[in-house]
Amino acid sequence: MPFEPGLVHTPLTPFSNDGRIDFDRYAKVIEFHLRHGADALAVPMHAGESVSLTDVERRQLIAFVVERAGKRAPVIAHVSDAGTGIATALAKHAQAAGAAAIAATTPYYWTPPPAMVLEHFLQIGSAVDIPFFVLNAPEDMAGAKINADLALKLIAKLPNFSGVVDASLDWQFMIELMTSAPRARDGFALIAGTELMVSAAAIGASGMFSALAAIAPKLARELFDLCRQQKLFEARARQEDVAALRQIVKPGGVAALKAAVRAMGRDCGNTRPPLLPLDAAAEKKLAAAIGALRALADEPRGW
Amino acid sequence: MQNKFRGVMQSPVTPLKDDFSLDLPTFERLLDFHVRAGAPAISWPHHKGESLNLTIAERKLFAEAAVKVVGGRVPVTIHVSALAVEDTMELARHAQEIGADGILAITPYFWTPTLEAIEAYFVRLCTSVDLPVLSYNSPSYLAGVEITGELMANLIETLPNFVGVKEASFNSEKFLEISRAALAMRPNFSMLTGVEFLLPSVPLGGNGSYSAAGSICPNLCNELFDTCVAGEWGRARELQFKMTRLWHLFKDQYPSSLKGGMVIMGRPVGPTRAPLPTATPERQAYIRTQLEELGILDSEPHGW
Repeated sequence: MPFEPGLVHTPLTPFSNDGRIDFDRYAKVIEFHLRHGADALAVPMHAGESVSLTDVERRQLIAFVVERAGKRAPVIAHVSDAGTGIATALAKHAQAAGAAAIAATTPYYWTPPPAMVLEHFLQIGSAVDIPFFVLNAPEDMAGAKINADLALKLIAKLPNFSGVVDASLDWQFMIELMTSAPRARDGFALIAGTELMVSAAAIGASGMFSALAAIAPKLARELFDLCRQQKLFEARARQEDVAALRQIVKPGGVAALKAAVRAMGRDCGNTRPPLLPLDAAAEKKLAAAIGALRALADEPRGW
Repeated sequence: MQNKFRGVMQSPVTPLKDDFSLDLPTFERLLDFHVRAGAPAISWPHHKGESLNLTIAERKLFAEAAVKVVGGRVPVTIHVSALAVEDTMELARHAQEIGADGILAITPYFWTPTLEAIEAYFVRLCTSVDLPVLSYNSPSYLAGVEITGELMANLIETLPNFVGVKEASFNSEKFLEISRAALAMRPNFSMLTGVEFLLPSVPLGGNGSYSAAGSICPNLCNELFDTCVAGEWGRARELQFKMTRLWHLFKDQYPSSLKGGMVIMGRPVGPTRAPLPTATPERQAYIRTQLEELGILDSEPHGW
């Protein structure tokens, strides 16, 4: 049965002052996302500092979110890792814990050639029965990327390979993918990996992953709904609002996201090393920029 | 200044004789073909017109022919980018002298110029002519050199004849960065993409493109644009996917494959200058099978 993720929020992971996952706060984070427009949750994505969590923590976190979300929303478990065996074990655990789907990107660090990427994904995907989504995020992954040929090979070998979450924003790749993959697999999904969805929706994207929903859930929801209704000219104004918000937070990465949610009255603590928090001046500047953004006037403050 | 640069604008290839010299009569036929086939504007010589493999004297000669043959039926812009910026300035002045409707220029080649250097370049170019100037952003061909939204805003603010950009990153965020900055300041700015990537760019404020495959399929180019502007996204998707299959066919050894395809369409334009190869008979036969499969032979004009 095809699984349509819809608008997927990718929550931040709150840490306490001593650097541990703050599960009390995390429960509030999950409630916030569920009450503010998430069709599904994906955890822990890069915005959730997946790479800085231990294997045990990732398992705890996925189980925690599945339990909290209950029947209200499906949970997509992010299982990317450098080692194929480690990622595969995480995938199995996620399925056992009740995740609705898994997602993974290319292996970290190894600058893998295409054959290695294919084998990595084949092992992860075949370890589970639930839907498997591949993330294409070349900017995060030192240039390692997915192409349409790889997608077709995965379709041929993995019955649960369900789609690509694209953060490359590359028109040529998305068009090539959607020209061939949906013909090879019914219900194959292109999912926008960021809130820059308008062009992806024109090409045929049906879902969207959103980290900025932690700051501006109404903006994410309105943009997504217009895109899903193919009201693409109407979506442009909200798309430009997203671009303005991205311009403020993108240079500072996850630390800037955490500063931004603090400015919105939802403190999630600071980032874990090696990511450094913004210094006081930068945080003040960012908070001022967020406060001045008219597009965020109707967004929820506090929890 | 009114925006006359919109739709899928055609940039003719450069016809050559078997000895690789310029073939003026065929160039004149090709220009006339593009205009009769519905091109909203003509621009020459783009990289697909082998601009960098032509001498400055050759570029001037054909620029004059383009303006003369088109004869005011549609606007003609001259692509003035050259390895030496001094040549670019010379070509820009020449374009103005011969009565062209505008010029197009890419960020300077080779030197990976800083943003300050790019700004100085466009300021110099725009203040040296009275013609409308279109800029050209192509980071993937120019080692990552690109125009930022902030630079675009500076140029628009200071230069009244800076009227458009061909934004050829083919990336949602980069296109949006520039379109957001430009259209807020100048709503009739020509926000163009390359290679007919209209489906993803028109909803972001795009109002046209230059064409890669227009000498093969002018009808498809115009229909794709009209469908996007009308917001008929389902139909636009079908047409864009077809257009992009053609791009994949031709981008291998571009523009040699394009010239090879033109033989199939009954519009032969001769070989391609080195270092680019010329499409072999085998390559042409393969192109024919692809054009047949895509239905291009039935839906597009054959011959001149």
